[in-house]
Amino acid sequence: MSTIALHDEHNHDHADHGHHKETLISKYIFSMDHKMIAKQFLITGIIMAVIAMGLSILFRIQLAWPDQSFPFLETFLGKWAEGGRIKSDFYLALVTIHGTIMVFFVLTAGLSGTFSNLLIPLQIGARDMASPFLNMLSYWFFFMACVIMMSSFFIQTGPASGGWTVYPPLSVVAKAMPGSGMGMTLWLISMVLFVASSLMGGINYVSTILNMRTKGMDLWKMPLPIWAFFLTAILGILSFPVLVAGVVLMVFDRSFGTSFYLSDIVMGTDILPNEGGSPILWQHLFWFLGHPEVYIVIMPALGISSEVISVNSRKPIFGYHAMVYSLIGITVLSFIVWGHHMFVTGMNPLLGGVFMITTLIIAVPSAVKTFNYLATLWRGNIRFTPAMLFAIGLVSFFISGGLTGIFLGNASLDINLHDTYFVVAHFHLVMGSAAIFGMLAGVYHWFPRMFGRMMNAKLGYLHFWLTFIAAYLVFFPLHFLGLDGVPRRYYAFTEFEFMKKWLTVNIFVTWAAIMAALAQVAFLFNFFYSIFKGKVAPQNPWEANTLEWTAPVKHIHGNWPGEIPTVYRWPYDYSKPGHDADFIPQTVPFSQTMSSNLPHDFEGNAEAEKIQQDWELANPVEENKG
Amino acid sequence: MVLTMEKIQDTFDPKPRKFIVWLFVVSSTIMFGGFTSYYLVFAASKGKGHGLVLPDAFIYSTLVIIASSITLVLASKAMRKLNFSLQRNMLWLTVILAVVFGVMQFNAWSSMVRTGATLVGNNAAISFIYVVSGLHLLHIIGGVGLIINALVGSYRNISPAKSNYRMEIASIFWHFIDILWIYLYVFLLLNR
Repeated sequence: MSTIALHDEHNHDHADHGHHKETLISKYIFSMDHKMIAKQFLITGIIMAVIAMGLSILFRIQLAWPDQSFPFLETFLGKWAEGGRIKSDFYLALVTIHGTIMVFFVLTAGLSGTFSNLLIPLQIGARDMASPFLNMLSYWFFFMACVIMMSSFFIQTGPASGGWTVYPPLSVVAKAMPGSGMGMTLWLISMVLFVASSLMGGINYVSTILNMRTKGMDLWKMPLPIWAFFLTAILGILSFPVLVAGVVLMVFDRSFGTSFYLSDIVMGTDILPNEGGSPILWQHLFWFLGHPEVYIVIMPALGISSEVISVNSRKPIFGYHAMVYSLIGITVLSFIVWGHHMFVTGMNPLLGGVFMITTLIIAVPSAVKTFNYLATLWRGNIRFTPAMLFAIGLVSFFISGGLTGIFLGNASLDINLHDTYFVVAHFHLVMGSAAIFGMLAGVYHWFPRMFGRMMNAKLGYLHFWLTFIAAYLVFFPLHFLGLDGVPRRYYAFTEFEFMKKWLTVNIFVTWAAIMAALAQVAFLFNFFYSIFKGKVAPQNPWEANTLEWTAPVKHIHGNWPGEIPTVYRWPYDYSKPGHDADFIPQTVPFSQTMSSNLPHDFEGNAEAEKIQQDWELANPVEENKG
Repeated sequence: MVLTMEKIQDTFDPKPRKFIVWLFVVSSTIMFGGFTSYYLVFAASKGKGHGLVLPDAFIYSTLVIIASSITLVLASKAMRKLNFSLQRNMLWLTVILAVVFGVMQFNAWSSMVRTGATLVGNNAAISFIYVVSGLHLLHIIGGVGLIINALVGSYRNISPAKSNYRMEIASIFWHFIDILWIYLYVFLLLNR
C-alpha cells in the first residue's frame, strides 16, 4: 500500500498549560472561532428570516382583503395602518424590505455565512479560517447592516420602497415618494456594510479553501458543499464590487446632485436640473451583481443537498465530477446573462437574443445537477431524516421553479410575463423556497455538529410537510395570475376590473402563507429547545464520511486535539461493495479496506495496484457467501 | 488539547493571508472595471465623453506615483540585504511621495473646477473623473496605512517572517494602486 497512516505521537501530549482565559465577550460576542461565528450568522439569519416572513404576512393580508379593516394592524403599525388598513406607501416598503432581507440577509449571509464558516474549516481539515479576525469583522458588519436596515422602520418617512432592486429615478429622487428619502439613505448605508461583510467573508473562504486543506485533501477529494461554497465565494468576489460601483454613483446622485442616472425628470410642475444620465445604466450595474447573486443564493443550498442526499441515500453522489463541473458552468454563465432582466428596457433585439441563449444554456448544468440528485436517490437505501426531506424538497422546488425559468428566459415570452406574478412565482420557487429548504436541510443535518445535540425528528417532519405543502399552495397559483397579466407590487386588486377575479385566489394564497408561517413555529421551538434540551448527539449521528464528524462533539478552538486527520479517499464511499459497513470515512486508508478497494481508487499508482492484486490473489472472494 | 492552538499561533503562515490581499486586489479591480464600463456604455449611448483636456497635475501625479513604486521596490531590496536603515528611509520616502500624490490630485480637481468642469453638472462623464480619482485616493490612504504598518514592523523588533509579510502585502497593494492609477489615467485620456 502506498498510503500508510503515520501517527505523530509527540503531538498528542495533552498539556494543560496555556489556557488563555475565555471571557463571555471573547467567547460569545467578539469570537474569532469559525464555529461560533457560524452560529452567530445562523441565529441572526433566523431572526431576520422571521422578520421578513412577518412582513410578507402583512402584505399578504393587504392583498387578500384590500378593503377590510384590521384594527390590530393599527395597534402595531400606527399611522402606517390608519383605520386598520395598510397604507399604499407602507405596502411598497414591506415588499421592498421583505425582498432585501430575504435575498441578502437570510439567503446570502444567513446561508453562506453560516455554512461556509462552519463547514469549510471542518470539512477540509483546517484549524480555522485564513483570517479569523476578518471573519469576525465580516459578522459584525453584517450585524450592523441588519440593525441599520431595521432602523428604517423607526423613522418618520418609513423604509426604502422602490423595490429590492432600487431602480432610479424612484430611488434617487428623494422627493419621489416617502421611502425615497431617509429610508433609502439607510438602505444604501446598510447595503454598503453588507457588501463589505460579504467580501470579507468570501475572500476568507476562498483563501482558506485554496491554502489550508489538510494532508491528502486535494481539490477532487473535497465534499461538494465545499465546492459550492468555494464557487459561491468567487461569484461574490467578482460581482459584489460592481454593485459597490453602482451604489457609489447612486450616492453621488442622491447626495451631491450629479446626474449619473438621472435625466429629464419632471415632478408635478418642477423640472429637475439633472440632465444626461441614464437609469438603464443602474440596471446594468445592478444586474451584473443581481444575477450572480441568485446563484450566490442557490449554489450553497445545492452543495448542502448534494451532501445530505448522498449521506441519506447511503450511495455515492451520482456524477461527482459532473456536479462540480456544472457548478463551475453555472458560475461562469451567471456573469453573461444579466441582460435577461432587462429585455423590456428597449434593448437591441440582437443583444436580447444573445442574452436569451446564454440564459437558456444555464438549463444544461442545472438539469445535470437535478438528474444527478435523482440518480443518487434511485435505488438508494434512503433514510428519511428531516434533513433528507428538506433536501428532496429542494430538488422538487428546483425542478418546478426552474422549468418556468425557461419560459422567462425567452425574450419574446418575457415581454408578456415581465413584472407579473409569473416572475414572482418563478423565483420564489427556484431560489426562494429551494434555497430556504437547502438551508433548513443544512440546519437539521449539521445541528448536532453545531450544538452537540440532536433536533427532534417528529417536529422536523411536521415542519417539513406543512412548509412543503404550504409553499406550493402559496406560489403555484401565482403563476396563473402572471399568465393573466397581473402585475407584481400592485397595492389593491379591487382597483382594476381585470384583477378582481383573482381576489379569491389571493385569499387562498394568504391563508396558505399563514399556514407556512405557523409551521415555522415548529422549527423555531425545535431549534431553540434542542440547543439546551435536545438529546446529546453521538460522534457521527448520520454515519457520514466527511471530516467534520471526526472532530470532538465538544467544541475546541482549533477543531481537532493533536494532529489534523489525514484524508485518503473521496467523501462518498457509501455502500461500497466488499466493505462490512455501509460507509468509509475519508480518514480510513486503503490499507484498512483491502476487501473493497477498486482499481481506480489508486489513481494510477502502480505499486499500490500491485499490492492490491497480490492481496486479492491471496484472499480469493468466497463464492455463495450468505 | 489546548496545546494545539498555542502551536498554531506560534507558526505564522503568511501564505493564506497574502492570498487575501490578492483577492482584495481582484475585487477592487472589478469595482473599477464596473466604473469604467459604466463610462464606456454612457459615452457610447450619449455619443460624448468628458471632452476635457485633463489638467497637467494628473501627469505629475502619475510620475510621482511611479516614483513611489520605485522607492518601495528599493525598500524591499534593502530589507532583503538586511540594510534596515535604507529600508526605513525608502519607506518614508514612499509615504512622502504618496502625500505629494494626494496633493497633486487635489490640485488637479481644483484646476478642473476653475475651468468650469465641476463635480455637479450636466455631464456625468466629468463627474465620473472626480468619483474614480476620489475612490482611487481612498485606496491610496489604505495603501499608506499598509506602508506605515511595514514601517512600524521595521522599527519594532518583530519576527523576520512577520516583518517580511508586512512588507510584501504593502508592496502588492501599493504596486496595484499604482497600476490602477495608470490604467484610470490612460482610460480617461483615451476616452474623451
